[in-house]
Amino acid sequence: MSEGLSRRSFLKIASAAGAAAAIPGCEPAGRQIIPYVVPDENMIPGVPSFYATTCTECGAGCGVVARVREGRVIKLEGNPKDPIGQGALCARGQASLQGLYNPDRLAHPFVRGDDGRLRRISWDVATRALIGRLSTAAKAGKDRVAYLARPQGPTLDKIAGLWLSAWNSSKAVFHEPLANSVARQAAQDCFGRGDAPVYHLDQAEALISFGADFIETWESPIELARQYAAFRTPKERRGKLTIGRAAYVGPRMNLTAAKCDDWVGVKPGHEAAIAMSVLYVLVRQGWISPNSGFDIATLKSFVDGYDPDAVSQQTGVPAETIVRLGQMFGQAEGAVALAGTEDKETHVAAYVLNAVTGNLGKTVAFLAGSPPSPLSPQADLDGLIAAMNQKQIEVLVIAGSNPIYAMSPAAKFNDALRQVPFVVWCGLVPDETADKAHLLLPIHHPLEAWRDSAPRAGVSGLGQPVMQPVFESRDLGDVILDSARAAGADSKTVPWQTMADAVNAGFQQLQKQLGDKNKPEDFFAQALRDGGVFADAKAADVKFNPAVFQNKPKPPGAGPDLALAVYPHIFLYDGRGADKPWLQEIPEPVDQIVWDSWAEIHPDTAKALGIAANEMIELQTDQGTVAVSALVSEHVRSGVIAMPLGQGHTSYGRYAKGRGANAFAVLAPGARSAAVKVHATGRKSALVSPLYSEDMMGRNIVEAMSIEDLARGVAPESETVPGPYEMYAPFKYPTHKWGMTIDVNACTGCSACVAACYAENNLAVIGKEGCADGRIMSWMRIERFTPPKEQADKAPLMYITPMLCQQCEHAPCEPVCPVFAAYHTEEGINGQNYNRCVGTRYCENNCPYKVRRFNWYKPEWPAPLHLQLNPDVTVRGAGVMEKCTFCIQRIVSVEIDAKTGDRKLRDSEIVPACAQACPTRAISFGDMNDQQSEMMRRRKDNQLRTYRVFNAEFNTLPAITYLREIYHEKGRA
Amino acid sequence: MNRILIPVALATFVGGLMVLAFSQRPWAPRQDVQQPIPFSHRIHAGVNKIPCQYCHEYARRSQTSGVPPVQRCVGCHGDALFGGLKPVTRPWTDHSQPPFEIRWNRVYTLPDFVRFTHQPHIWAGVACQECHGPVEEMDRIEPVHEINMGFCLDCHQKRGATQDCFVCHH
Repeated sequence: MSEGLSRRSFLKIASAAGAAAAIPGCEPAGRQIIPYVVPDENMIPGVPSFYATTCTECGAGCGVVARVREGRVIKLEGNPKDPIGQGALCARGQASLQGLYNPDRLAHPFVRGDDGRLRRISWDVATRALIGRLSTAAKAGKDRVAYLARPQGPTLDKIAGLWLSAWNSSKAVFHEPLANSVARQAAQDCFGRGDAPVYHLDQAEALISFGADFIETWESPIELARQYAAFRTPKERRGKLTIGRAAYVGPRMNLTAAKCDDWVGVKPGHEAAIAMSVLYVLVRQGWISPNSGFDIATLKSFVDGYDPDAVSQQTGVPAETIVRLGQMFGQAEGAVALAGTEDKETHVAAYVLNAVTGNLGKTVAFLAGSPPSPLSPQADLDGLIAAMNQKQIEVLVIAGSNPIYAMSPAAKFNDALRQVPFVVWCGLVPDETADKAHLLLPIHHPLEAWRDSAPRAGVSGLGQPVMQPVFESRDLGDVILDSARAAGADSKTVPWQTMADAVNAGFQQLQKQLGDKNKPEDFFAQALRDGGVFADAKAADVKFNPAVFQNKPKPPGAGPDLALAVYPHIFLYDGRGADKPWLQEIPEPVDQIVWDSWAEIHPDTAKALGIAANEMIELQTDQGTVAVSALVSEHVRSGVIAMPLGQGHTSYGRYAKGRGANAFAVLAPGARSAAVKVHATGRKSALVSPLYSEDMMGRNIVEAMSIEDLARGVAPESETVPGPYEMYAPFKYPTHKWGMTIDVNACTGCSACVAACYAENNLAVIGKEGCADGRIMSWMRIERFTPPKEQADKAPLMYITPMLCQQCEHAPCEPVCPVFAAYHTEEGINGQNYNRCVGTRYCENNCPYKVRRFNWYKPEWPAPLHLQLNPDVTVRGAGVMEKCTFCIQRIVSVEIDAKTGDRKLRDSEIVPACAQACPTRAISFGDMNDQQSEMMRRRKDNQLRTYRVFNAEFNTLPAITYLREIYHEKGRA
Repeated sequence: MNRILIPVALATFVGGLMVLAFSQRPWAPRQDVQQPIPFSHRIHAGVNKIPCQYCHEYARRSQTSGVPPVQRCVGCHGDALFGGLKPVTRPWTDHSQPPFEIRWNRVYTLPDFVRFTHQPHIWAGVACQECHGPVEEMDRIEPVHEINMGFCLDCHQKRGATQDCFVCHH
């Protein structure tokens, strides 16, 4: 499947075999057709090939299927065979394409001269320089060479270790700035095992998250969002229609909090006290599972001092709230507590909560045979920095890690790095660390390289190169292996010639472990097709270690008057996403800010401090000061300033450099919060947001109903038109009428659909200035609104909905087009003919949903970003209106396939990009003429929940039917 | 006054017409395309009756019909010693030269806003000649029809095929 790929010449493929009319871009189509000399049997020009591989953007390890056209990958989608992602892929995963095609990627090896300038060199010269330095260092003594990287799969990490020992060293440090290693430490204390558990949120009835933002970034967001949607789906429990009850405890209302029943705003560091207090309620009320084997007296003494009243005084959280959380947790059949804070106490308390209610092995399970943590202990990193400072390190190789940006100033990594005479940086887009390095080596993007992954027991992901390299880069594994051989490593110590061999060998070993009887080639070929080997993992039998109860957490105290809570940005994460224009341009779902970083301040706090919205404020901690724009918002607790990570790069390519501020610069090592002082500067710096209004102004853009009403079978009152009023003869749809059903209750706002739309439909990225002028080009967006205060009891915490063209039956856009560019297709789509459009923008003005986009600028994709463009979709020029097409190219391609195969279309065969990407399967697409289609059945099965946006106001008859958000009515449960 | 204005206006008008008449839209089929080797469709498709899709093999499966790989040429025009056919030109019988890539010049081009695909047309039984003309009688390929929207729609109307704009323009 992929062996042949390596022999292909990328350029030949790119221009191959007369891809007639399929070459996109703004230039006229190529005038030459260059056929293959020898054709590739597995490839038909004009027909995509699919390669399974593994996502490496975060540690979750979701499976990916890469769609490849004419030898270049144009889209990433989730791998349905992978048990973690199950076919979905988040925005970050999809945007890794823009890491591959990033125009600022290092194209060649560079060396830094004495004058500090970079000089382009060949790989031969670079390799010689590296090996020369390495052998001098190795001769000088032991541990003179060091390797600092983020974990990049078991095989590559192992090779790095072998390579180091060939150079007489053992200093390999694997570091992640935002690793959830406290969870592993807490598991060590509680259960004597250093792995993180897996969760089954769908098995629970109640959920409390203590700072674990599992919808945005915590652990495995795709998987947990999917489980959470199942948890919130109305189902019969004990003869009653219910949904799971959930609460989020943390300083900021993020997407996870917004989708819960309760958001308990606390100062950072107070989560543990709340967790202990919830435990107190359970112990006092006797809601301890009799089978859990806990001694009540021990528990009582453990929670002593955490009665809700006392905790309420310290934290400011009302005692009733804590009691309510305790009731909810203790009385549920199946409950789960999650912890995502930086302190161990919260994690321990959450494990205890799960254990005492008998949920270990049910909603929380440790798996037998978990792979060891790929991360090094903190002491290793401290040791490395100390060794650097003592000038013991002569060569430091940094791969895939950006310590200069992502380490606290207190770690003094910058100073330590200056003591290292030769720093080798291996990576993609040169970042802050590359700016200090002496030798810069361009390495393959994971989509160009062999990789494996072991995210959890039973899951062995396999990553294969899906295309030829874009730049003059090399596989990091191959660079390391070559260098190890130069050190005299023989076939015994390093038995593999290439990274491909090493990965293959790993899978042969796995085959032996699994006792698979197939030929090794067949086993590996099957793993390549499936994207890995997926086996069931059994839950391990774990015993709680009562010694934990000896270390009672200290009461938190009131905490600082003003606290800074730093959180990973849903798209930029710890900063690694900042070089990808999609991730910069897609609005952060809660605050709806693009291309910037910001500091959220509660209106009360802002008033007390005299801070105005959009004012530049200086945040000063004991580590340093950052200046950032203030966002006055009620999505943060008063007395807390919340700030996302990810921006503030001084390097890292054109899309990242010089935007916002870096929150790592004000944090202590390992911390995500600090006491902070705020200075208002009086300067204004406007944050850019495509959101016009915080509330819906009385209109029902997003509708919700309570589970109580749903159980009683009462639909909320909504304005209904007497019947569709027709002015003209109605349209007839003899074949199909495409429609969509969107379950708002399942939508988490994660914006994977938005990223998928950008990738599939060649949407232009417009930049911050364009966005400020309201010219963002997204065909699909996540809208969010806050319910008015007086309705808060009868509303979800936040209304979140995907908004895209509603493909109206009575479309306001169509009759106003003077040139018939906006028109109604035979299959019920509001089509837009780019070649006919003259740009009057009447349609946009007349659209009540504001989902049409006008090209104010000629869209640009700096090379090689243009290689990502989908050849099946026209690249629109300036002056043209564009909009959601229900992915017409996908519809047409399936229709052609059905027609040529002389068969009928199957239900759910056509999947638009947004529906494909959705982790919670909130979007389904199908034929409204077919009453049995999954999409129509979803409407019928949830008749009480259906609504159409603005239909009552405008009689537009949208083809999209939404299903109402479900919430628990407060005070009526 | 008019004595100056009228000739100027007339000259501008005629000039404009001439620009229109002689200019080529980038997608207009070109009569003057020369190929790098004197390949003859008449000999192959006409005299020797090789089916179109023997060489343009992707037409029934893909958007593009595909230009044959050089390997396909060598299939017949291989080594003369082993019964290879002798072509008019020498490239593949010249033993000093391995098969090379040929840079054909494109005759038919469509604008970027048209998503044409060969596959359904082949399956609907449209003969290649209906759009490309009697290729089997041409030594050098010259377009017979200008492939514009009117041309497409004429046929779509006659055959009762879709006339929905969106199917091709998206």
